[in-house]
Amino acid sequence: MAGLSVVEAEKTAESTGAGLWVENVTHVFETGGESLMALHSVSLEVEAETFYGIVGPSGCGKSSLLLMMAGLLQPSEGRIAIGDETVSKPLPEEIGVVFQESSLLPWKTARENVEFPLYLRGVDRRVRERAALEMLELVGLGEFANRRPHELSGGMKQRVAIARGFCQNPDILLMDEPFAALDEQTRMTLGDELLHLWDRNKKTVVFVTHSLTEAVYLCDKVAVMSARPGEILEIVDIDLPRPRTYEMMATEKFGKLRARIWELIRRTQQK
Amino acid sequence: MKNTGRLLAQLAIVAAMFLFWEMAVRTGMANARIVPPPSEVLPRAIMMLGDPVVLHNLWITSAQVMLAFVLVAPIGVAIGLLLGESDYFGRAFKPFFYFVASVPKSVFLPVFILAFGIGFTQKVAFGMFQAIFVLVISAIAAAESVSPDYLKMARAYGASRRQLYVEIYLPAMLPVIVEGLRLGMIFNITGVLFAEMYVSRAGLGHLVSTWGMSFQMVNLFAGILLAASLSIAVNELLRWYENRVGAWRG
Repeated sequence: MAGLSVVEAEKTAESTGAGLWVENVTHVFETGGESLMALHSVSLEVEAETFYGIVGPSGCGKSSLLLMMAGLLQPSEGRIAIGDETVSKPLPEEIGVVFQESSLLPWKTARENVEFPLYLRGVDRRVRERAALEMLELVGLGEFANRRPHELSGGMKQRVAIARGFCQNPDILLMDEPFAALDEQTRMTLGDELLHLWDRNKKTVVFVTHSLTEAVYLCDKVAVMSARPGEILEIVDIDLPRPRTYEMMATEKFGKLRARIWELIRRTQQK
Repeated sequence: MKNTGRLLAQLAIVAAMFLFWEMAVRTGMANARIVPPPSEVLPRAIMMLGDPVVLHNLWITSAQVMLAFVLVAPIGVAIGLLLGESDYFGRAFKPFFYFVASVPKSVFLPVFILAFGIGFTQKVAFGMFQAIFVLVISAIAAAESVSPDYLKMARAYGASRRQLYVEIYLPAMLPVIVEGLRLGMIFNITGVLFAEMYVSRAGLGHLVSTWGMSFQMVNLFAGILLAASLSIAVNELLRWYENRVGAWRG
């Protein structure tokens, strides 16, 4: 991996980052006269610089919860806040989002995609180009900066999307099933790379995933949600040491944590 | 290098076609009274480009085609974008456009003659009528092709309303819209020429039709060649632009 980036250097000189508070958030959808409760009284305390996972059965509202954290969706009740500031609209300087690779703009090159958030904020062209190139270097795509998405593999595209999330250097990074479209081997590799990146560039990460192995491997804490209406069943502490290694996956402790999460999800699915 | 090779091959195919045509007439395979040989047609077509009468008629046809296109393109695209973006209007009016698009527009020509006469205005109106359906339908497709993933991403990164339009909607829709414009142009030319051939006092279609009915076969084939060359030129120009703005579609 490349040396210290501009973005990182800036970061280390700055504050310790921010936590994210979710207080009694309820979300009700209105569809054709009917109202559907997607989330019911969800509360989470995501402390600064933790890697926080959210898992749950399909349709439990975990993606809606993430959209609310991103300021793209308003909770029907309750409040989401960073420190003292309520999140009621996107706050791109504080909260970054990593979406699936399908969110890359196909008419832009890898570099232009990575610098897009900075471009939207009117950052000087030379500054944002340099930041984007360093970020691409860091995810191993330095040589592919001028390629368009259709010339890249699925894993490479997802790396570009991750680089885009990190490039604007937010305190909080939200990731909405970023690896869902990838094969298992690529997900494992990218998971490792993500941990590496996070290690050098500590942020508060909220990671929504379907994969229990991924959740245990990456996270410090995993919030397990119930089927609709989504509620927090339990917050599982993943007290495995860091740095995480793939050998840990074979340990009894890893197995037990994974089984605990599966047990919770299985029970809610049977209801 | 690869492109030069392809271009040479394409030219060779065209040359071979003309050669086959010439041989067919010379050997008597084709009736020379109905199909004149290209050795007569090609020089005639080139001569026509210096003939003030032909040029005048060619100008009238071009003016009708261009005016119809300039008028219909923004209307068709605007209607299509409205129907593609608005749930309410889309549900109400989309089926209408899909149904009418499948009706051969030529059966309406007598109505246009009654409404607009047989002059310039009628040709422009009929060209517009021919083109509008494909324009609307492709603009609907363009609006619907904008992935919600792009919009969600841009909004999360703080894009303003204007930035959404300029940075997401416009580049995403442009190739599909240009493709629609190209198809609309083909329909537009067809409509204008057809209306000229049906009843008219001027235009390339009028000339071609007159030459055919008075059995001036060399003139007729030369006229067809001119009409074909012009349509191909316009189509290729638009296709070149379409490929330029849509290179990212891979």
